Amino acid sequence: MKDFIRPTLVLLIICVISGAILAFIYQQTAPLIAENKLKAEEAARRLVLPDAEFFKPVSDSSEVLYYEGYSADSTLVGYIFSCVQYGYSSDVKTIVGLTPELMISAITVVSQAETPGLGANCTKDDFTAQFTGKNPDNIYVDKDGGDIQSLTGATITTRAVTNAIRDAFQKLQDRL
Amino acid sequence: MNLVNVSSSPHLHEQVNVRRVMWTVVIALLPALIAAYLFFGWRSILITILGVVAAVGTEALVQFLTKRPITISDGSAVVTGMLLAFNLPPLTPWWIPVVGSIFAITIGKQIFGGLGYNPVNPALLGRAFLMASWPIQMTTGWATKLANAGVATVSGLKQTLITGGNAQLQNLITSATPLNLAQQIRGDIVAGTAGDSARTIFHQLSSLDYIKELFWGNIGGCIGEVSAAALILGAAILVYKHYIEWRIPIGYIGTVAFLSWMVGGIDGLFSGPILFHIFSGGLILGAFFMATDMVTSPVTKNGRLIFGIGCGLLTVVIRTWGGYPEGVSYSILIMNIATPLIDKLTPQKTFGYRKKSNK
Amino acid sequence: MKAIQEFTKGIIKENPVFVMALGLCPVLAVSTSVQNAIGMGAAATFVLVCSNIFISLLKNFIPSKVRIPCYILVIASFVTIVDMAMEAYVPPLHKSLGIFIPLIVVNCIILGRAEAFASKNGVFKSMLDGLGMGVGFMLAIIVIASIREFLGVGTILDIRILPASYKPMIAAILPPGAFITIGLLMGLLSILQNKKKSKA
Repeated sequence: MKDFIRPTLVLLIICVISGAILAFIYQQTAPLIAENKLKAEEAARRLVLPDAEFFKPVSDSSEVLYYEGYSADSTLVGYIFSCVQYGYSSDVKTIVGLTPELMISAITVVSQAETPGLGANCTKDDFTAQFTGKNPDNIYVDKDGGDIQSLTGATITTRAVTNAIRDAFQKLQDRL
Repeated sequence: MNLVNVSSSPHLHEQVNVRRVMWTVVIALLPALIAAYLFFGWRSILITILGVVAAVGTEALVQFLTKRPITISDGSAVVTGMLLAFNLPPLTPWWIPVVGSIFAITIGKQIFGGLGYNPVNPALLGRAFLMASWPIQMTTGWATKLANAGVATVSGLKQTLITGGNAQLQNLITSATPLNLAQQIRGDIVAGTAGDSARTIFHQLSSLDYIKELFWGNIGGCIGEVSAAALILGAAILVYKHYIEWRIPIGYIGTVAFLSWMVGGIDGLFSGPILFHIFSGGLILGAFFMATDMVTSPVTKNGRLIFGIGCGLLTVVIRTWGGYPEGVSYSILIMNIATPLIDKLTPQKTFGYRKKSNK
Repeated sequence: MKAIQEFTKGIIKENPVFVMALGLCPVLAVSTSVQNAIGMGAAATFVLVCSNIFISLLKNFIPSKVRIPCYILVIASFVTIVDMAMEAYVPPLHKSLGIFIPLIVVNCIILGRAEAFASKNGVFKSMLDGLGMGVGFMLAIIVIASIREFLGVGTILDIRILPASYKPMIAAILPPGAFITIGLLMGLLSILQNKKKSKA
């Protein structure tokens, strides 16, 4: 009986102590982590809609559908939505900025784990810049007859980005 | 001084040795090289020479540095360099065959102890390495001859059909080999994104006229793989000399024929274009010259058959459902690794061996 | 053994990666860039030193029957601390190391040192042992990452070494590049050690 109580007690004590320490550290870091996330999202939004001064989320009953961007004097300067689609080896998440006329103002790829040197090049400016000024309702990769130039050797990634934007836009279109 | 050399049996030797086999393989590869010159011009010869020189030079250098006997005259490095170059697009940059050969000889062969100790075919390992490292240089630069009838019409047609006829001309150089094209079209058809016209193209690819082009080699592709006719001529020499035996190539090609007939078509099961799959891509080159490499294929007869069938199965799987249009090199590499296991599982009966009676 | 030797043995003679072949998973996975390697090495070293100290302190308190769960608890706590601290203070590094920070818990070097060393030795020696092993791990991963980043991107620590016209050898930063690099380095090290032995 005795050689069963001691190990249990020791394990319990260690659990309690480490739990307490972790809880304390979590309390210290949680606000910082949340703030970092917000900052990163905010930075991405500014990148795709540089004219906007502040952003207002527009949500459904449960989730945020898109953001409206306003300039300093509260005029609407555009919309922002995010979209995601599976590429060659990972989910490729893109944030898209739209002008009030519903043309793409800029896009940025915020997370992906595609092949380095090929699909991973989708984060580069050379690639994302070509989306600017295009109509999101009608973008296709060149291999599919459109005018989005695919990354060399990474048509699948290009297609994921392009089709994700088009699909997400078409879903949102009526609400904008 | 060693005047009397007493060795163990056998005392009679036939004049077959590594040197003779390897140089015969080199000769057997020459028709394909000539065909490459005819279709792609002098550049294909230059790429091949670069590959061979780099392979031989690396072999000599490594053996010199590790103080082992220098064996470049046995021709095995020449074969490796040639096979590697044969697996490259004709317009690839000049340093691709050089880097590939250096990798193939050092990492693929010498690091394991030289000829006879390499677990996988060095030339194919070199190709896999190049493919992973410089995929852009390895998958573009196919056809030098844009007038090259087969590719031009077919891929141009595809572009017209899919985009509705008004899109910019598809860039032929970055476009496809026939296999690439067939995989794309088939993918589109299976996904339901292509119209009936795509079916016409697919059937056109498997028409007898196009198979003729495939057989002679008037298509886009790697330097040494395009002309099935020239490769078969070379392979005939090796088969006649008994340097390769039928089990691996027949098992390989037979499996590819059957399976691609079964799953490679667009009209359901058993509608695949058999001849198209046999003569396109690197199958003939791979089945006769690379899968049959003595060091990396099984020694037992049943084992060789299993090896060939395994290669065929993997090739069709990669061609039909894989991310790459061609699977010959990867399937041979995978089966190379399985070779010791195959040998172990297919022991041959020793002369005089009797089955143990059931007690 | 002298105290200083407890530190130095981990660097070459008993290098956890090249000699003992421990903890290869994070080495292979995050050695794609030198920056990641330093981050991973530092995080693992921190956990290793802390867990060694604590386990050595607690060695008479922990009954041997439940020692493995206890070690894992101690290690996991430190890993979680590192994970949260990194996410709060260096988010870009945390993002690029991704899942491999939580996976330090199962890095066999750490549990291995706890079981093989810290549970039998004093606090000071255990700390030195942890530090030596951690530095050895970090050095190994930095060497591998330098080679891979140099060949695969043409940079070291994001500073361009090779000219921009260099066509990067992408295979070097893909998984096969990790295996080939680590194999060649292990071979090289064992050649050197054999030479040393035959001289001695």
